[in-house]
Amino acid sequence: MASSVSSQHDEVLVEEKSFARILTLNRPKQLNALSSQMISRLLELFLANEDDPNVKLVILKGKGRAFCAGGDVAAVVHDIRAGGWRAGANFFMKEFTLNYLMATYSKLQVSILNGIVMGGGNGASMHGRFRVATENSLFAMPETALGLFPDVGASYFLSRLPGFFGEYLCLTGARLDGAEMLACGLATHFVQSAKLPALEAALCAADSSDTVIISSIIGQYSEQPSLKEQSVYNRLDVIDRCFSQKTVEDILSALENEAVNRRDGWISTTIQTLKKASPTSLKISLRSIRAGRLQGVGPCLIREYRMVCHVMRGEFSKDFFEGCRAILLDKDKNPKWEPSKLELITDTTVDIYFSKVKNEDWEDLKLPARSKFNLPPYVIAKL
Amino acid sequence: MDRAFQRTRILTNHLLLSSPAQTACLTSNDCFNYSPPELSEKYAFDVNEMRKLMDGHDVEERDRLFGLIIQSKLFNPRVRGGKVFVLPDYNQSMEQQREMTWKRIEYLLERGVFKGWMTGEGEDVEMKRFACFEVLGLFDHSISIKLGVHFFLWGGAIQFFGTKHHHDKWLRDTENFKVKGCFSMTELGHGSNVRGIETVTTYDSKTGEFVINTPCESAQKFWIGGAAKHATHTIVFSQLNINGINEGVHALIAQIRDADGNVCPNIRIADCGHKIGLNGVDNGRIWFDNVRVPRENLLNSVADVSPDGKYLSSIKDPDQRFAAFLSPLTAGRVNIAVNAVYQSKVGLSIAIRYALTRRAFSLKPNEPEVLLLDYPSHQRRLLPLLAKIYAMSFGANYLKMLYVKRTPQSNKTIHVVSSSFKATFTWSNMQILQECREACGGQGLKTENRVGHLKAEHDVQSTFEGDNNILMQQVSKALFAEYVMAQKRNKVFKGLGLEHMIKPCPVIPSQLTSTTLRCSQFQMDALCLRERELLNRFVADVSQCLAKGESKEQAFNMSYQVAEDLGKAFSDRAIFLTFIEAEATLAAGSLKDVLGKVRSLYALDCLEDIAYLRYGCLSVENAAAVRKEITKLCSEVRPHALALVSSLGIPDAFLSPIAFNWVDANSWSSVQH
Repeated sequence: MASSVSSQHDEVLVEEKSFARILTLNRPKQLNALSSQMISRLLELFLANEDDPNVKLVILKGKGRAFCAGGDVAAVVHDIRAGGWRAGANFFMKEFTLNYLMATYSKLQVSILNGIVMGGGNGASMHGRFRVATENSLFAMPETALGLFPDVGASYFLSRLPGFFGEYLCLTGARLDGAEMLACGLATHFVQSAKLPALEAALCAADSSDTVIISSIIGQYSEQPSLKEQSVYNRLDVIDRCFSQKTVEDILSALENEAVNRRDGWISTTIQTLKKASPTSLKISLRSIRAGRLQGVGPCLIREYRMVCHVMRGEFSKDFFEGCRAILLDKDKNPKWEPSKLELITDTTVDIYFSKVKNEDWEDLKLPARSKFNLPPYVIAKL
Repeated sequence: MDRAFQRTRILTNHLLLSSPAQTACLTSNDCFNYSPPELSEKYAFDVNEMRKLMDGHDVEERDRLFGLIIQSKLFNPRVRGGKVFVLPDYNQSMEQQREMTWKRIEYLLERGVFKGWMTGEGEDVEMKRFACFEVLGLFDHSISIKLGVHFFLWGGAIQFFGTKHHHDKWLRDTENFKVKGCFSMTELGHGSNVRGIETVTTYDSKTGEFVINTPCESAQKFWIGGAAKHATHTIVFSQLNINGINEGVHALIAQIRDADGNVCPNIRIADCGHKIGLNGVDNGRIWFDNVRVPRENLLNSVADVSPDGKYLSSIKDPDQRFAAFLSPLTAGRVNIAVNAVYQSKVGLSIAIRYALTRRAFSLKPNEPEVLLLDYPSHQRRLLPLLAKIYAMSFGANYLKMLYVKRTPQSNKTIHVVSSSFKATFTWSNMQILQECREACGGQGLKTENRVGHLKAEHDVQSTFEGDNNILMQQVSKALFAEYVMAQKRNKVFKGLGLEHMIKPCPVIPSQLTSTTLRCSQFQMDALCLRERELLNRFVADVSQCLAKGESKEQAFNMSYQVAEDLGKAFSDRAIFLTFIEAEATLAAGSLKDVLGKVRSLYALDCLEDIAYLRYGCLSVENAAAVRKEITKLCSEVRPHALALVSSLGIPDAFLSPIAFNWVDANSWSSVQH
């Protein structure tokens, strides 16, 4: 029954199993970071599978210890150095288009997050209907440490987490394990990795595109893991109090007030993380998640595309390039942000990141038409 | 025997119908599928830009506050059709609603939302405060009124009538809610006629105290928001009687509850009870039984009483003194006017989104049914109202700016504009909500769908902070005074936009073409013409009455018909001017083009007012041309309907299930959850 249609060297492996298609991200050495080619290939595959009446379910997973560590940002920076910011913009245009396609997919996507899932990896999974975490899952949106901001539709899916947990993850880049992902809703199920082969087989045998049926199949292999005692998810009250504040500065001073009231390693770590992140990134990220909370997934991606184009252009701040240098290339982990302080970044400056790029022949992100498909209610609710 | 037979038949039918063979016809293909308008409708302009223009200011502040509400369980979030909606549970008892309102205020207080509202100064602070009120009012009228009473009325009275020691003593505690204030002006026997209130305050120089008394039942304070449950302090309006001389209405601070919430001695409080709306506000009635308050509690910016009991005032004219006392009500009035516009935005967003997804009747058998908004009649019902709310948004932004940039010279303009806009916006709101309710059919009657319920909640807006009819009479009187003044001094009209009165009278072409009808200059001419005609007529009517020996008051009373039409003509023209000004700020492009159509639709809808025919400002032929053009404009605005309602900037969570996937929101599976 199973037939392999791809070679071992392909960056995306494709298996056809009955009514299911298993797509495996296959760049294990790079922790399956999404290259431009992989994104193109995924777009192609998702589009073809949507049109194919024989496909009811798409399973996405990663080879090796990562599901996907993000977009291949190092390559993007390289391309920009060689071909200008438009090269970077093209990469994100394609990636965000893929994110939108997944968010509005008329068929079911099950992502198996058995390992690292960061940045662009979340963009390739969180928008789908089912996200399966395991004891190996490791989630983060670490963009503010890189001089970027949580993109790939994160302003949509992070802003809809309980309370102000989204702001916390978005600004600090904090890591979550599988149990925490399930608790906050980033994952829909938690399955022990040992059971994954059996789960996959069951999904392939399902012959169904019914949400309830697929959910109950995954449910048969799932369990309710308990949160570790020190879990950040047990600190939601502090997070709500602090991260609901108006500005990044207010958030920091609220955290500092909390630190005065009690000695708590977590609070000081959080403060340190925020202070190490790019001030520009923090400000635009906070504005983005708050705008995203009130927008559908399409407008979120359109806004993020504007933002990312401004970041690539580096008119106001070149933190993205500095961040990539310090974290990915030189690996000295000591980026020199410019502007270096939060108070040097005014609201008017932040506004620029949300405006159209003033450049001839630049256009807003054009979302692919979805009207010909019969979209399920959970997709319609995201528009 | 018959009954047994009937029973058997029912059972048989029941069994047959529930067999699988019979239900097979109910496949999803035959059913009505919800089709999201986002996927079929096109946006010809940037809705974010339009939203910025409509909201006018503090967009980021608004979004943060929206987020604070959506993310908290206190605001009763409910998932319907896969989306979260926030709305108070209006099925709770009055007591529960009041407690919830209070808990929500505490939550916002903890998040620093009110920071600087009393202790801060400047235009930015005041504009931000307006923005917050607009957002909170979109969630619930009760929370906005509860806060409005505390900040604008109680706090505003201290700011405006009080002097430094009052500010130092009360403003910070007000901002932190250490004191909870209310505002005791209205009495059972006197509402709009504040000067007639019967509560009396005397001064006891032996103890240095004022003594406040409710002398009769009609003097009981009535409708006092916050008084029934929460308020600890109140501003009391009363006739100040010093040494047997009535010095007129003055305001004092009195404590009515202690910190534990017990009612103070010599104060009696009763509940106003259940109301048609605003049940989250604890309106109460208060009787004062010779309540003693220290001399410093007199709000003495206008007048004071010396320790030995002498009355001192910098303003000798009691009329002017009284006018000074009413000035803080202006902020409340501005708030109400703006809030009414936002309620209309909710109603129109819901009704238009519903009309973009609900179908009814096919043109031919076996054809798909027609979308409600594709019926010209449905367009005619909703789209001119949408245009009106665009116009009123610009009017509201102008009014807010006028208020925050106030000077002693602009007081009269503020009074006239705020009175006329308050009346116009709140009346329009009731009309718009009613039309939207009907346009949503039966679904409009469900409380969760908001539109119908909003009517009950906001009905009060045409009454509080000045009865609309009385406000409009005041507008006409002010215009009359302006006219007389200009004539007497042979001077030009200044302010209030009456400059056009001395220009040559605009001429309306006998044949109105589409191009003319859409020209903003023509539209302005037509609006000025009606105002001019009515003002001239009003002055003539009043003068005629005066010539017959009637008093001025009686002359105004007799001329009420023209006065009403004049107030409306003034408002429409003033609102239109703000539209033109907003449009002029835009660069050429699709946004400006669409807004131009909306402006024409608003203007022509104004020209449909019966006054145009009644007073001969338009010929019957011209009126027919206007009517025809409106239909055309409606069909041209129709393709932009979704973009135009999206630009109103009301987040999905503040609309209602019928504005989105109402099929899924009402599915059987949603019942089982």
